Amino acid sequence: MAVADQRNRGTILALTGPAYLWLTVTIFLPLSAMLYCSFLDKSPLVPQPASLTLKHYAAFIERPVYQQLMLWSLELGAVVTICCLIIGYPAALALAKVIKGRWREAMFLMVVLPFWSNALVRTFSWTMVLRPGGLADQAIHVVAPDAPALNLLYSYPAVVVGLVHSYLPYMILTCYISLQAIDDSVIEAARSLGARSGALFRRVVFPMSLPGVLAGSALIFVPAVGSFMEPRILGGAKGATLGMAVEEQFTVTANWPFGAALSFLMLGAVLLICLALYPAARKRMEGL
Amino acid sequence: MKLGSTLLTAHLWLVLAFLYVPIVVMAVLGFNASPLYALPFEFDPVWYRALTSNTKLIDAGIHSVGIAIVNTIIATTLGTMAALAFARYSFRGKTIMQLLLFPPIAIPWLVIGTAMLVFFFWIDIKRGLFAILLGHVALSLPYVIVVVGARLATFPHAVEEAAATLGATPWQTFRRVTAPLLAPGVIGGGLFAFAVSFDQFVISYFLAPAGVTTLPVEIYGAIRKGFTPEINAISTIIIVVSMGVLLLTARFYRFGGER
Amino acid sequence: MSKSNSRITRRRFVAGAGAIGLGAAAGVIGAPRILSAAGKITVLNWQGYGTDEAWAVEAFKKATGVEVVHDYFNSEPEMITKLRTNPGAYDVVLTNSAWNGIASGEGLIQAVDTAQISHFDDLNPSLRDSALLSKDGKVYGVSWVWGMTAIAYNTEKVKPAPESVEVLWDPKFAKRVSVRDDAIEAVSYGAIATGQDMNHPKDLDKVKAKLLGLKPQIATLWSSEDEWNKLFQSGTFDVSVYWSGSAARSKTNFKLPVGYMVPKEGGIGWFDGLAVAANAPNIEGAHKFINYMVDPTFYVEWATTVGAPASANTKANEQLPADDVGRQIHSDQAAIKRLQFMAPLSDDERQTYSDLWTEVKTEFAK
Repeated sequence: MAVADQRNRGTILALTGPAYLWLTVTIFLPLSAMLYCSFLDKSPLVPQPASLTLKHYAAFIERPVYQQLMLWSLELGAVVTICCLIIGYPAALALAKVIKGRWREAMFLMVVLPFWSNALVRTFSWTMVLRPGGLADQAIHVVAPDAPALNLLYSYPAVVVGLVHSYLPYMILTCYISLQAIDDSVIEAARSLGARSGALFRRVVFPMSLPGVLAGSALIFVPAVGSFMEPRILGGAKGATLGMAVEEQFTVTANWPFGAALSFLMLGAVLLICLALYPAARKRMEGL
Repeated sequence: MKLGSTLLTAHLWLVLAFLYVPIVVMAVLGFNASPLYALPFEFDPVWYRALTSNTKLIDAGIHSVGIAIVNTIIATTLGTMAALAFARYSFRGKTIMQLLLFPPIAIPWLVIGTAMLVFFFWIDIKRGLFAILLGHVALSLPYVIVVVGARLATFPHAVEEAAATLGATPWQTFRRVTAPLLAPGVIGGGLFAFAVSFDQFVISYFLAPAGVTTLPVEIYGAIRKGFTPEINAISTIIIVVSMGVLLLTARFYRFGGER
Repeated sequence: MSKSNSRITRRRFVAGAGAIGLGAAAGVIGAPRILSAAGKITVLNWQGYGTDEAWAVEAFKKATGVEVVHDYFNSEPEMITKLRTNPGAYDVVLTNSAWNGIASGEGLIQAVDTAQISHFDDLNPSLRDSALLSKDGKVYGVSWVWGMTAIAYNTEKVKPAPESVEVLWDPKFAKRVSVRDDAIEAVSYGAIATGQDMNHPKDLDKVKAKLLGLKPQIATLWSSEDEWNKLFQSGTFDVSVYWSGSAARSKTNFKLPVGYMVPKEGGIGWFDGLAVAANAPNIEGAHKFINYMVDPTFYVEWATTVGAPASANTKANEQLPADDVGRQIHSDQAAIKRLQFMAPLSDDERQTYSDLWTEVKTEFAK
């Protein structure tokens, strides 16, 4: 299927050209400028001339607090991705293989719709649910009137709930798309050859849906690491991320070069992790 | 397997319930009298009445929906094309190109937005609809490419080859064979593109001309002064209308594909 | 459902959606063009900060024929960025005491012709003539409003009324305290509590140690007035660092039991000036608007119907009703004497304070 051929060059260029030209003008060039900026001692647009420096990257090494924040952010991203996978995959499986007919489309759309609302409004709604005297608290006291007051707001779990809620549709969507592509006849064939449900899932269904799992995980892990809005609103003093520190360099200190350096360090870490995990996943896909 | 199916279905319903918790809270609080969202709940449609005369918020909503729709059409088309190339051909630089999809997702939007603002200033792209669309489409593209790519990775290419062997032209093959098989991925990508644009704050905020706002800009701006349940009201209206439109579309067109 | 039928529906849907989208898109382009027809000014300010009150914009248009359009910023560095990247786009811009000098130093704002500001003589001289709003003997910002950042508390829970900044560290209010997530404000209060110069504290280790002492006290950090009101209303905290004008609003508009005091150790004072942007397309309109903003008629209406910080116009403050909460807060002369006003910080200072606050917050989160 994958053809390496001179004749295809025109086709490849025609297919990828528009998207990548667009990305180049609006993302790659501006971000390259930002990357260059991270090596300058002054923000661009400042009247004084700037000179090259490594001090912003050195600051990351010299100030352990930023390394700590990086670790926390990566950990948060991992926790959120894993939660989304555990919750989202079975839901996608139900959607793709159990639910039939019109219900399937309707439910699929119902999964995606919540994130056609504003993230800030959604996050704010969560504070109404999680705060003391909030809806979760009241609901529990209807069932168990003697239970102690429930305060989930301003805690790590609250941040995770908010982020999982925001990103769960990503996982369900990508897993559904690849699960739905698995022909039922393949599953039937395997079953008729005597495969039991567990083995069928492990050996056939899961490996075939791995592209979706990987795409979903990347689309969740990568932005979740950089999150700052949900940690701030739901985490209060307990939510500290590197994303917040980046934001601070643009809104308080006006130190774009340092903010840019922190972002690119974050990007580097995320890419390294994804690249490190990719070969293992690829092996599973090929060992199908 | 029977028990497994029942459990899976039950799980799906639970997940749906979880996804709708804040949406329901949002909708309910739009009908709550207190401007500070105080409980207990006290029914009052005052915020919907207020909304009818809040032309600024309504305009912002219309701008957002309009931009999101145009963005979805462009980003889905360009993204699907690129994903097709990645799935079909192996060529030099492919891995790099795929890796390049990470930065737009990984770098915080505030940084990208600032970079774009300054860069557009340098190359003299004026603030306005065109600039906003440039930014929105660029941020949606990686999502579309990844989602469509996930579909293509499990794509039965043999069918395409069979069509070609049977004498179909490339265009016929695409129209009759590839496109229908691709549909779920493309629609998934489109839904993503819409969501990304609809919730995009920084780009619109930096690139919209003075006096023109979008819904997220209004919402983030309102934080300072205090956002009232009017925001809940308009968000609820948009969700309900989208739900109607999408379910209607789903009724006429089965993109899930019965295979 | 037949196949051909479904295809038509789909095509129609896409066409319809496209039409809606393009229509709305055209609206986006169309809007500013209509506005630029008559006399127009563009104001750059925080959202919901006086200049964009609908009634004010309308009254100003009625009186002068000049249409007012707004653009907003969410932080002062962003205000500077917007000025830099949009030369000639703005007429009036809000700059506070700490940022006016930075803007004028870079040539982003121009000198104000005070002869065109008829209320100029009524402005409080200590604000009007402040070096922070002028450069080379010329006025670069017309002082507009001023306020305090001091301590607000729940009058039902915090008794007797506190007088010292130490209330933030009082174990009685463990988990009942909130401060704004703002590096400069936090360092300022750390400096005040350790008896140092608020703007340029010498002993930052002491400031940091003091702020770390807040860890058992903090219920949460707040970041906007709206959030503050909602948190206070739901009883999340009892004592908090807060803005004076906002405290007046919380009390007047939302009937919250808010008490307000400037600690005996000192408090933060700040004032905002309205400036004319460099290359402003409508300099005359900009001056007219600034004059309207310091007019007592505008101020009294703003303060009484919405709630505002204190006006720089002494006559305007005097016209407020005697029982106005804002007037009471802002006329306590003893408290005003205790204020230290926010001064411009160097880039290095801001970075140092930000690093310090990030370290403190990271400790809070552990």
